[in-house]
Amino acid sequence: MYLPRNASKARLREAENARKNRAEIVKAFCDGQVSRRDLIRMGLMSAAGTLVMTNGLSVFAPSAYASIPTGAPSSPLFGVQPFTQPMPRFDVLPRNAVSTLSPAPTAQANTTQQPLNPALEGVAAGDTGPIEGRPPGPIWAHQQFAAFPPRVAIEVTQEGAKVNNAYNPQVPSSLNSGINAAAPFSPRFHPDLPVQSPLKLWTHNGTLPPKLMIVRYGEPVLFRHRNKLPFDVTQNGGFGRHTISTHEHNGHHGAENDGFTGAFFFPGQFYDYHYPIVLAGYRTINTGATDPRAGGPDDSGGIVKVAGDWRETMSTHWFHDHMFSFTAQNVYKGIAGMFNIYSSLDRGNEAINDGVNLRLPSGTATSFGNLDYDVNLMLADKAWDANGQQFFDIFNFDGFLGDRMTVNLAYKPFFEVERRKYRFRILNAAVSRFFKLALSDGSPMIQIANDGNLLPNPVTLTETDELGIAERYDLVIDFSRYSVGSKVWMVNLTEHEDGTGPKQDLSLAAALAGSSSDPAVGKFLEFRIVRNPAVADQSQVPATLIPNPDLSAVPVARQRTFVFGDGANQTTRDPVTSFRGPWGIGTNGGGVLDADFGRISAAPRFGTRETWTLVNDGGGWDHPIHIHFEEGQILARNGSANAVPAWEKGRKDVYRLRPDGSVTITMQFRDWGGMFMEHCHNTVHEDNAMLLRWEIDDNGAPFIRPLPTPIARPQGVTFQPPDDILPSAF
Amino acid sequence: MRAATRTGIAALPAMLCGAAAVLGGAASVAAGNSWGADYFPNVPLTTHEGKVVRFYDDLLKGKAVAINLIYTHCSASCPLETAKLAQVQRLLGDRVGKDVFFYSISIDPSRDTPEVLKAYAQKFHAGPGWLFLTGKEQDIQLLSSKLGLSSLTDAARRDGHLPSLMVGHEPTGQWMRNSAVDNPRFLATIIGDFLGWRDEKPQRSYADLRELPKIDKGEYLFRSRCAACHTVGKGDGIGPDLAGVTTRRDHCWVARYVAEPDRVLADGDPIATELFARYKDVRMPNLSLAPDEVAVLLSYIEKQGRGR
Repeated sequence: MYLPRNASKARLREAENARKNRAEIVKAFCDGQVSRRDLIRMGLMSAAGTLVMTNGLSVFAPSAYASIPTGAPSSPLFGVQPFTQPMPRFDVLPRNAVSTLSPAPTAQANTTQQPLNPALEGVAAGDTGPIEGRPPGPIWAHQQFAAFPPRVAIEVTQEGAKVNNAYNPQVPSSLNSGINAAAPFSPRFHPDLPVQSPLKLWTHNGTLPPKLMIVRYGEPVLFRHRNKLPFDVTQNGGFGRHTISTHEHNGHHGAENDGFTGAFFFPGQFYDYHYPIVLAGYRTINTGATDPRAGGPDDSGGIVKVAGDWRETMSTHWFHDHMFSFTAQNVYKGIAGMFNIYSSLDRGNEAINDGVNLRLPSGTATSFGNLDYDVNLMLADKAWDANGQQFFDIFNFDGFLGDRMTVNLAYKPFFEVERRKYRFRILNAAVSRFFKLALSDGSPMIQIANDGNLLPNPVTLTETDELGIAERYDLVIDFSRYSVGSKVWMVNLTEHEDGTGPKQDLSLAAALAGSSSDPAVGKFLEFRIVRNPAVADQSQVPATLIPNPDLSAVPVARQRTFVFGDGANQTTRDPVTSFRGPWGIGTNGGGVLDADFGRISAAPRFGTRETWTLVNDGGGWDHPIHIHFEEGQILARNGSANAVPAWEKGRKDVYRLRPDGSVTITMQFRDWGGMFMEHCHNTVHEDNAMLLRWEIDDNGAPFIRPLPTPIARPQGVTFQPPDDILPSAF
Repeated sequence: MRAATRTGIAALPAMLCGAAAVLGGAASVAAGNSWGADYFPNVPLTTHEGKVVRFYDDLLKGKAVAINLIYTHCSASCPLETAKLAQVQRLLGDRVGKDVFFYSISIDPSRDTPEVLKAYAQKFHAGPGWLFLTGKEQDIQLLSSKLGLSSLTDAARRDGHLPSLMVGHEPTGQWMRNSAVDNPRFLATIIGDFLGWRDEKPQRSYADLRELPKIDKGEYLFRSRCAACHTVGKGDGIGPDLAGVTTRRDHCWVARYVAEPDRVLADGDPIATELFARYKDVRMPNLSLAPDEVAVLLSYIEKQGRGR
């Protein structure tokens, strides 16, 4: 014992205060990051092997931060063993008639006043504010609201963790690993782990499992998001911000619905997001809506044809918070869900054989959107404190790593499957972690989609590429090769030692051996092959899925280069969106400076395309870059078209730069106008720079329109002219 | 290596674990604030006025703060950070020192003595409520990592430090990171809103928004990079009035000086040396401007100078 049992109370108190920090020392010591000799040399350990306390603090905090989880001791498991709980399927959000919304949605923000809760910041008793947090006026009105009137309403709250009494997996219990959906579902990572406090876990509707929105082309959706987080901003359990802005990741919608980071809304307010669910190119391609490949499923197995380019059909999105400066904390805190889009090509019914439907694994029970064999998987690493409550280190901006793998927010679950093909829509919803996936027996998987888009051709793999933050891979796994009663595991091969990027990819054997110091390496999901399929597997994986749009006739209006750096030379930032930090975006070879509209003074021309080269100059950083709005195609990696792997030959919305790498993409600007962001999707990095504000004129004129950034306050959204010239230099 | 380390001290982890078990029960963090006395170091620092203070007890506890890292020999962004923060301070007025405290901590404490920092504060017209702090290098490294102001990828050179401004409210554990070289008006607004201050000024609804006049790249560059220290025709600021500079000086010299003032000064250039002395040893920062940016900037300054 290094503390005598008769130590004074003051001494014990000091020791208690230092416990967290000493735990870091112990962990660093045990992980081999420091040696006993180091500790003695630092004056932290006496020759007798006892720890010396210096201000109760670790003097080698950087070493401690390099450990996992970031900035904390390992998360206690309370005796819980892996693969002892069923993996819950997503909770499908109800699709209601628009008439159920009260008040009815409006094109411009609804500024009806309501009394404000004085617990809100900057609010005095008697203040009033608008019921909707969307910036008021014509600039933030829903574009094309009359042309695409919402036909489905999806209404959801954001609130602290509570029991779910309305879980709707939309599949029978037998396809949900035996989970009885009618039973109350508690907010916890495992039935034997503590229930999460409402201050520590903030989810859609306040409940688990995570939520799934189901939409289809030709059926505009009004997503009403109600903020029911605590009015008092300090009631956040140590991380997270009670103001939110919701981004439908890669939605092809108007900017007012994009979850602009500064257009956040407060507790007690709602925000109406209008998702028209249109095919890109709807103004110029297939405008008569005559091509059955461009369409959405109707309710009886047929197709509702829509305008646009069928080759732009998207399938797997996700939606998450995009709050200014707090995105990482809020996404980690639970504000993330998935978004399946159904189309005439990707019908969600594997039996319909009409020459258009690709008949991907899904099911046959309903005319579209069957989830029976089409499974959303949300991967996220978590950490929790000694009480089992979610923990996040808000002071680490290198990227936060958790030590406990969750799937659909369940700690290392099992999933029961039939002997047939399944489609898994896999989302990397981690804050800073990359995943490289394999099956434990090295069997092949078929990748059919990357991000929101089905690939031109499926790719058979035994190991995926590293799945970057926010990327989605749709994989088909054929379990018919296994016998009933057998098991196979999904394995993560990518090892991290800090949040700046992967350290290395391990071999399958090494990952399975359990020797990695990264606790998120290895098996994290157990597939149990439980029975033969009740109905014969009718699904297919066609050799051709969705070819890329032919862009050869679309003129390239401009080529740009964006450099993502590590911050050594950052000096300025966008005066309009007013945000920058240590990671900059440089353009056109002008050195690494932050993104600002002055540097993109020629906005993308409406109806043209551009070619962008994104360069990582970040000294070892690995940035997944997300460009809001319209997906692009990767033309080259490191300048070479041959360096683009097969699974990146489709369309994408997140581009992984890789350390010191570059990626050249081409993308189009059309259909909708507004402000968009391009940023790094390592959400910790993103909060601190890499926000780029686009203006695209709505009738095609090539210009950038400087608009003041919205200043969101409970009393209403205001603005200040972004004039940073003060009357004098003093 | 790792295995050898472990074998060599096999007995130690068991001892440490025993200690943790004894203390574990009483070590829970106070509800509502995970970021308090047991998180922040209470290391001693010295202010630019020569007063010794404890970081947690004297600077943080019970206060709202805005903290950045600087050093006076910085040839990159620090002078701009300091100049911008000085503007933020003026915008916030007497709230600074009462409702929020500014701290600029030197990451070069061996050279940045209290006297040096005092002179630096005066050059930038830092007002009351803004402390420039120095201390032991090891303590400051600890502070910067605990405050989220340093990064694993920081370059070995000090210029690689993050130009960030951590804004926090210690009693409630609310912290937010901003850029220290942000638009000062925006920073002032963000700080106030983040700290929950009630803005009594009349507000203009976003519904009344009108498109702003377009500003060209030169004006934008001047506003964001230069205006914190310079005017064109409105008198000297922290640096000289730039009216006529493009005719007063040789064009090539101006272009090079704007692009890499640190190098020009280091080369012993007589004009740069004279300017450095005349403007109280404030270093003009190297802002990594590209050649085309230097050109549009100089053309903007020239145009402004003529237009008066």
